[in-house]
Amino acid sequence: MAEAYFPVGPGLGMEENFLSLDDILMSQEKLPGRAESALPRLAVLMGQGAGSDNFWLLSFLQGSKLEIPLWLAKGLHDSKRRIISVELPKIFREAWRTVFSADANVVDLHKMGPYYYGFGSQLLNFENPENPEIAQTILQTFIARFRRIMDSSQNAYNEDTSALVARLDELERALFQVGQKGLNDFQCWEKGQASQITASSLVQNYGKRKLAEVDG
Amino acid sequence: MEPAEVEFLAEKELVTIVPNFSLDRIHLIGGDLGPFNPGLPVEVPVWLAINLKQRQKCRLIPPEWMDVGKLEEIRDQERKEDTFTPMPSPYYMELTKLLLNYASDNIPRADEIRTLVKDTWDTRMAKLRLSADSFVRQQEAHAKLDNLTLMEINTTGTFLTQALDHMYKLRTNLQPGESSHSQDFW
Repeated sequence: MAEAYFPVGPGLGMEENFLSLDDILMSQEKLPGRAESALPRLAVLMGQGAGSDNFWLLSFLQGSKLEIPLWLAKGLHDSKRRIISVELPKIFREAWRTVFSADANVVDLHKMGPYYYGFGSQLLNFENPENPEIAQTILQTFIARFRRIMDSSQNAYNEDTSALVARLDELERALFQVGQKGLNDFQCWEKGQASQITASSLVQNYGKRKLAEVDG
Repeated sequence: MEPAEVEFLAEKELVTIVPNFSLDRIHLIGGDLGPFNPGLPVEVPVWLAINLKQRQKCRLIPPEWMDVGKLEEIRDQERKEDTFTPMPSPYYMELTKLLLNYASDNIPRADEIRTLVKDTWDTRMAKLRLSADSFVRQQEAHAKLDNLTLMEINTTGTFLTQALDHMYKLRTNLQPGESSHSQDFW
């Protein structure tokens, strides 16, 4: 059952994988921050003040609050040339960290930003005194939720799994898929379907006309 | 590895048959087989046994562990112990499936045997998951599990190795390490 397309996985850690679609989507998530120096006429980049001539509407003053996507924040972040400064998003702050350490299983990680682990790892790039705690929280959350993912993915055969995956973030969903695949392969083998010849998924969509239709 | 590949490896195991034809010793690359005399039991690999059975040229004799009493003992012992008990054959799951599918008429009480083997499999998989969970929870560096069969490892292996990969990457985040990521363009 060879796949036709091998996707590049997310580079979970302080570096992203350049070619990974998951990482690209993840870096689009926004961080709260503020402009440290005045940014004349650059408000259009953030989607504000378009189509107006007023200089003050088109620029950001020093200290104004911004919502910056991660890729922009990483590029503009420099401790020497203070252009912007970033703050931690809500879910990585103290209050939510205690929720995660109390019981990580009840949190709906999909709602909290579907890329919790990736985004959290990227946040460690910005110098921040709370970084060790953030890293520790992310690791502990993963460990706490591991059991439930393993059990649900290895036991749900031929069922609708949307209720099970609804609260998982993207990384956990990929793991769930892998677990399901292991289970499905085993069941398929046990039923004897592994030795049956089936049409490859690559050609099933070609929709060739059958021979009987071509004649006459 | 796919289950079909594990089954392929399992087919090398030897099983006893009683042929109803006669043939001199055959010399194969893997070794010699035979000679075959009608009515006399001979040991052959499972792939040959299944093939002969499908052509109705032999009768299969179930291995001595494939018996309801013995399997009940194994199942009960598996449920009692916390660690994995040694299995009568490293390929018990595959052999059960093959022999029961192709030669169930030669094996007495085939349905009960199937149920017992399935119960044992379920118990072992539950133990494997429990041990994987405690491994991850305590972030151990390595673990040793005896008496696991290849099919069990294969079913949970991919999931476990991927999860451990992720955990490793998240753990290296804890050490700030080199901070030479920034590149100055000016």
